[in-house]
Amino acid sequence: MGIFWRVLSAERLKMSKSFVWLLVIGSPAVAMLIGALANMEEEGQMITWEVLLSVMSLFHAMFFLPVLSGVFAALICRAEHADGGWKQLLALPVTRTSVYLAKYTMIMALLAAVQLLFFAAVLGVGALRGVDVPIPWTMFLASIFGGWLACMPLAALQLAISQSWSSFGAPLALNVTLTMPNMLIANSSTYGPYDPWLQPMLAMSPFGEDRFGAFNLPLESLITVVLGSLILFLAVGLFSFRRKAV
Amino acid sequence: MLVTEVKKMTQAVIETTNLLKEYRGRAAVEHLNLNIGKGEIYGFLGPNGAGKTTTIRMLLGLIKPTSGSIKIFGQDLKRNKLQILRKVGSLVESPSYYGHLSALDNLEAIRRILNVPKSRIAEVLDIVSLTGEEKRPVKGFSLGMKQRLGIAAALLGSPELLILDEPTNGLDPSGIQEIRSLIKRLPVEEGITVLVSSHLLSEIEQMAGTVGIIRSGRMVYQDTIAHLQQQAAGDLRLAVSEPEEALILANRRGCGGTLQEGRITLPRMSDVRVALLIKELVENGHAIYRVEEHRQSLEEFFLQVVEGGQSV
Repeated sequence: MGIFWRVLSAERLKMSKSFVWLLVIGSPAVAMLIGALANMEEEGQMITWEVLLSVMSLFHAMFFLPVLSGVFAALICRAEHADGGWKQLLALPVTRTSVYLAKYTMIMALLAAVQLLFFAAVLGVGALRGVDVPIPWTMFLASIFGGWLACMPLAALQLAISQSWSSFGAPLALNVTLTMPNMLIANSSTYGPYDPWLQPMLAMSPFGEDRFGAFNLPLESLITVVLGSLILFLAVGLFSFRRKAV
Repeated sequence: MLVTEVKKMTQAVIETTNLLKEYRGRAAVEHLNLNIGKGEIYGFLGPNGAGKTTTIRMLLGLIKPTSGSIKIFGQDLKRNKLQILRKVGSLVESPSYYGHLSALDNLEAIRRILNVPKSRIAEVLDIVSLTGEEKRPVKGFSLGMKQRLGIAAALLGSPELLILDEPTNGLDPSGIQEIRSLIKRLPVEEGITVLVSSHLLSEIEQMAGTVGIIRSGRMVYQDTIAHLQQQAAGDLRLAVSEPEEALILANRRGCGGTLQEGRITLPRMSDVRVALLIKELVENGHAIYRVEEHRQSLEEFFLQVVEGGQSV
């Protein structure tokens, strides 16, 4: 356990002072812009938090969260793939499991920062546009935390790919390619819930009236699928990393 | 033989037994028995692709041997990997850096994993003469500075064993000289055992006390550099009237000679034996035209060894 925390602390330092922070700010900033400009007023009705959240989270959850999961995974393996990076790191007195889990934790921490900033952006835009109904904390927390939770399997999958492919671009290209069909797959209640790229969007959208396709799914089932695939992807990645010849 | 016996008495820091690494049935390293004593600078020599890096990766637990055992500090690597690696510093291939971070931060990242006092960073920077440069981002460093930073990183945990894979690769002559004098200082000042690999004998012979030469995954020579110099000291060449018959006669005396370009080539032997052989040849009616000692440079000898022309 001590080794894990030490590696994590080193990983945090490696990521600091880099442009990764721009990526963390990026999606909340775009969501803020969308929220500030979108036309949400319907004939004299006040904007509700639900509407604001679904407008702002659409692009964020459908596109940015899956892409960022892949970008963070690729970034966290990047320097190790250059030259003898894995050799230098793994010849230190560390266990491979602790290195892998520290890197995974780092990805999830960055995604958590993205989600918190996004939350702040929603609250900020709401205040700006004069939403004066009480803040539905439960719904917000379920959406923000649920979106983060739903990134876990995808981040595990992307880390598994990034650690094994020495290329920086290829896992990213694959990731973006598989993020693109999200809008289509969202219509399918059969495949949708099993698509790791779609899960953040399913989890983040407020569970309101107008459900269709894969959105028409109880939260509990989604969480079961998410946790199941998380364990699977994490185990596969860890197994492969532990056997990796470096 | 005396040399080998003396060496066995000092404690072995690295000892491998019948180490084998196969890739798809092809052996990259086989029957490798390394023996490196405490406080030595051991030069691990061989042409590119001979298995040096593969061996080093096995010593650091980066890849698993197909069979055979590795003992470091007398402990089994498989069972005590973390304890062993805690006392080993390494630089394999060119080290990688977080270019946007300063030398200080790059070392700090490793320091956090090793959990050594912060003051150690200043110490290792001083050892590799990078003090004053530590705040600059590493991407602006020259290759030589990066290599020195890599050695600094390897020294951070105050290792008892330092494993350096081709540390001078790609450096200019002054960079090579710097690294070389640095490595030479370590066993004396810090009491560190050093394993340094290279494909150039000239780089190793000025710092190593012992050399191991590897060719196609097999160790073909392992002894002191002094012994290597002796071996290279030269052979005897005889030009005689009837070379074939003379060779038969010489080999009947156990000289182990060969015929090359019409001359008899005999391995190095004592003055007395040379005198006896000549006397016998003359008595048997051979006319002796020339007796020459052929001195080869250490480099020539090394090339012969790695190209498989000579077994030692």
